[in-house]
Amino acid sequence: MNINIGLSDILLISPMIALFLASLIPITAKVLRGNREQHPLVTLSQALIGIVVAIGLLIVFGGAGKTAFNNGLIFDGVTQWMGVIALAAAGSAMIMMYENPATTGRQFSELIFLAMSSAVGMLILVSAVDLLMVFIGLEMMSLALYLMIAMSHEERLSKESALKYFILGSFASAIFLYGVAFIFGSTGGTNILAFMDKAADLVQTSRLFLFGITFVILGFCFKVSIAPFHAWTPDVYQGAPTPHTAFMATAVKTVSFAAFLRVIATKSLVGSDQLFDILQWLAVITMIVGNTAAIIQNNFKRMIAYSSVAHSGYILVGVITAGVSDNGAFGASGVIFYLLSYALMTLGAFAIASMLEKSENHIVNIDDLAGFAKQRPMLALCLTVFLLSLAGIPPTLGFFGKFYLFNAAIGEGLLWLAIWGVVNSVIGVYYYLRPIVVMYMKEGNAEVAGHSLNATTVTAVVMALAIVLMGFVSGPIFTAVEKSLF
Amino acid sequence: MILSSIVFLPLLFALIVAVWPKSNTIRHLALGLSVIEFLLSLALFQQFDPNSAGLQMVEKFMWIERFGIQYFMGIDGISLWLVLLTTFLTPIIILASWASISERVKGFHVALFVLQTAMLGTFLAMDAVFFYVFWELSLVPMYFMVGIWGGSRRIYATVKFFIYTMAGSVLMLVAIIYMMYLTQEATGQMSASLLDFYKLQIPFVGGTFFSLQTLLFFAFALAFAIKVPVFPLHTWLPDAHVEAPTPGSVILAGVMLKMGTYGFMRWVIPLFPEASEYWAWLFMLIGTVGIIYGALVAMVQPDVKKLVAYSSVSHMGYILLGLFAFNAYGMAGGLYQMLNHGISTGALFILIGMIYERTHSREISKYGGLAGVLPIFTIFFFIITLSSIAVPLTNGFVGEFLILLGTFKAEPVFAYFAISGVVLGAVYMLWMFKRVFFGEQGELVKDEHHPLHDLNAREIAVLVPMVIMVFWMGLFPNHFLNYSKASIDYLVNNRSNYNLTIVEPGATTVQQAQGDN
Repeated sequence: MNINIGLSDILLISPMIALFLASLIPITAKVLRGNREQHPLVTLSQALIGIVVAIGLLIVFGGAGKTAFNNGLIFDGVTQWMGVIALAAAGSAMIMMYENPATTGRQFSELIFLAMSSAVGMLILVSAVDLLMVFIGLEMMSLALYLMIAMSHEERLSKESALKYFILGSFASAIFLYGVAFIFGSTGGTNILAFMDKAADLVQTSRLFLFGITFVILGFCFKVSIAPFHAWTPDVYQGAPTPHTAFMATAVKTVSFAAFLRVIATKSLVGSDQLFDILQWLAVITMIVGNTAAIIQNNFKRMIAYSSVAHSGYILVGVITAGVSDNGAFGASGVIFYLLSYALMTLGAFAIASMLEKSENHIVNIDDLAGFAKQRPMLALCLTVFLLSLAGIPPTLGFFGKFYLFNAAIGEGLLWLAIWGVVNSVIGVYYYLRPIVVMYMKEGNAEVAGHSLNATTVTAVVMALAIVLMGFVSGPIFTAVEKSLF
Repeated sequence: MILSSIVFLPLLFALIVAVWPKSNTIRHLALGLSVIEFLLSLALFQQFDPNSAGLQMVEKFMWIERFGIQYFMGIDGISLWLVLLTTFLTPIIILASWASISERVKGFHVALFVLQTAMLGTFLAMDAVFFYVFWELSLVPMYFMVGIWGGSRRIYATVKFFIYTMAGSVLMLVAIIYMMYLTQEATGQMSASLLDFYKLQIPFVGGTFFSLQTLLFFAFALAFAIKVPVFPLHTWLPDAHVEAPTPGSVILAGVMLKMGTYGFMRWVIPLFPEASEYWAWLFMLIGTVGIIYGALVAMVQPDVKKLVAYSSVSHMGYILLGLFAFNAYGMAGGLYQMLNHGISTGALFILIGMIYERTHSREISKYGGLAGVLPIFTIFFFIITLSSIAVPLTNGFVGEFLILLGTFKAEPVFAYFAISGVVLGAVYMLWMFKRVFFGEQGELVKDEHHPLHDLNAREIAVLVPMVIMVFWMGLFPNHFLNYSKASIDYLVNNRSNYNLTIVEPGATTVQQAQGDN
């Protein structure tokens, strides 16, 4: 095996290089200043510049479907869209980190370094087509994340949550790696592109391969919190500092789904009816579990955590559609579009939650929102937009996300999944309305912490505007996504 | 452009109200803007051709090309009057809520204007997805209206309202998507346009529930039946009505319920002709049960607002009965009754709101002898009561008469039972009227520390247009029905191959193209 790395490979991974270099700036500056923090705003802007540059490089050099490093990485439409969504979400989460009491101040440079490293891992994950490369990306992303959560200034819940996430995450990685080993054993390689065409037959003829691909898929199910592998999600989401939760719920989920899509794109589902059935049932169970459990939550973050489980279920419907459809691009673009809308609304909801936290130990319950609409009409309106969008009420982006997703599913004959999906969105309405009820219809004096106008506010307002306005141009966006996937 | 202006102008008004700096003139501003909207909608008459059954003043262009979803609006004889009802009621509502909405005045008017856009859009949208957007959007402002300005159990009522209606409509969304795929199969090009939906030949098998047309039929019918609401699905309505503030009740009864019956006329009956004919007995049955049940329950209500809410259930039963009679009398009566109900029940809620503002009670037993204290109020209440119980010369009579006539022609059995609703309606309304206005003075009426004042000029100005409409519609029904006649006749005669054509502006009466497939 001769390894030659050309300029084209370097250009293709230039976004990762840019991110990595940018991640080093704040931490180096800290060392050079004799271990004194530079102003957090400077740190933040260095990181954001790195992210913007990376997004630019990804748009310029990625997207043509070229592969790099011996077919280890691929840069196609999925890489581009999911990468941009994940990086933008990561950037917004970092803005929240800058202002949240649990993350700002002490050790902020280290935190940003870790977050940026995690983002590098994400970029590897969205572009990886070799299962080992997927594993590297997954681990790089997750290890940084475990540390980030554990670094929270809050002393109890975050430590518990980091440990829980670490143990269960490692467990899932082990399952994933176990599956990869079987695939290697039965096909002699770990590159998805290599066994792409024969996977549909292999799952029928080779038990080992079926076993392997099932374990790989289950590993992903854990990462994207598909029930019954979702049990870590509420605890970790609740215990982690809110910006990190936003980071996990949006950026991490987006890239995990990207890698999931690549594995599903092998058409293994077409070959194996059992696997197909199991995944469909997992999607249904996930929607039901997420939505019904969210109803009884009082903690705002925990509610959104369960809601994110439910949304994983909706997205899994799209992933399955992409996996069985002849025109996989349709299903996949449904997934990408949904992740785009999901990232915007979830980030926004967490941004508001982050603003409400007055200290690192402050837990925001839904009832604490009472009177928020009187105190902060603008922010309350934004949160309303996010929640209505999560509930899928037109004309917000969330509605169109669901519309495209279920449209693809119905087109593929998966009518019953679409029906489960819409029935679940009705259950969802019930708990998404609760914070709105409390904000607008109960007396109280909920107030944001800190200054009245800050970066997090701007982020939330931008997200809300995007959700409303992009609803009207969702068609062109969807078409653009779909076109880029061919 | 006129339809787009009518639909989206209120949205602009909502923005203007939202940024209006002076809080003490918001009501004046909102009233002025809503009158402008009403005058603009009157301009529809200038362009509307009553002799054509086609779709007029059409505006369409591609919105989401990938799925053939269009920005598509049009008006015909069926939607014309519903649009006017909406724009007519809005200024009245604003004037009626002048004193009762004292908190968050700005938010209230913003919600009202957004709601107006949503309702008008529902009546005018001719593309399934476009329609669905407006249909669902209408829930949000209503949800806030009941939840923020409502009574003591408002949160329960508003959440119930939202979830109930949402639950009904999501299956409709699935059905819409499915039909979009059917158009793709039929024509090769996916489309969500209602006109393309009309052209579909959906296979129907009688006798089984699991035939394609029947399933689609019920997916749509469920959404509309909950909105109407028909008998077993009506439980959200009394809660929402009782807890809603007066303007909310008026909008809800006056316009939002009509979105359901309009849905039957525009979507269900022409789209699924065989299924609706096959299942007509079911809808006539629940319509009839609704008439009698609503009336009986209304009779025993101690709360006057709840009484009117249940009377709505009864009246909406008539409309359903008329629509599913499938003849010109029934359909025309159904459409007329939608307008009547909007006027008379809307006025009843306004009247109840006025007395509630004075006494803060709606309990019938606490009133009595009101006629001697509030003579003007009594006169207005009496006229509207007569309209509600369909006394000849008032609008209610025309609608109910046509419906019963149509039902007798189609299914006499249902008419025998439905006609008892006429008597029961008179019983509960007049009995309530007697207990509230005559007899010994109740505890609220003779309270000497808080003497009751009769209606002031503003309140009279609110009620006069309603009373004018009651008599105008009662005495000259043809002034109204002539505009809808062509559309209704076409719907009745061509149900099985309904095929709306687009009437180009400027063209004189075009003979309706007969469906030939």
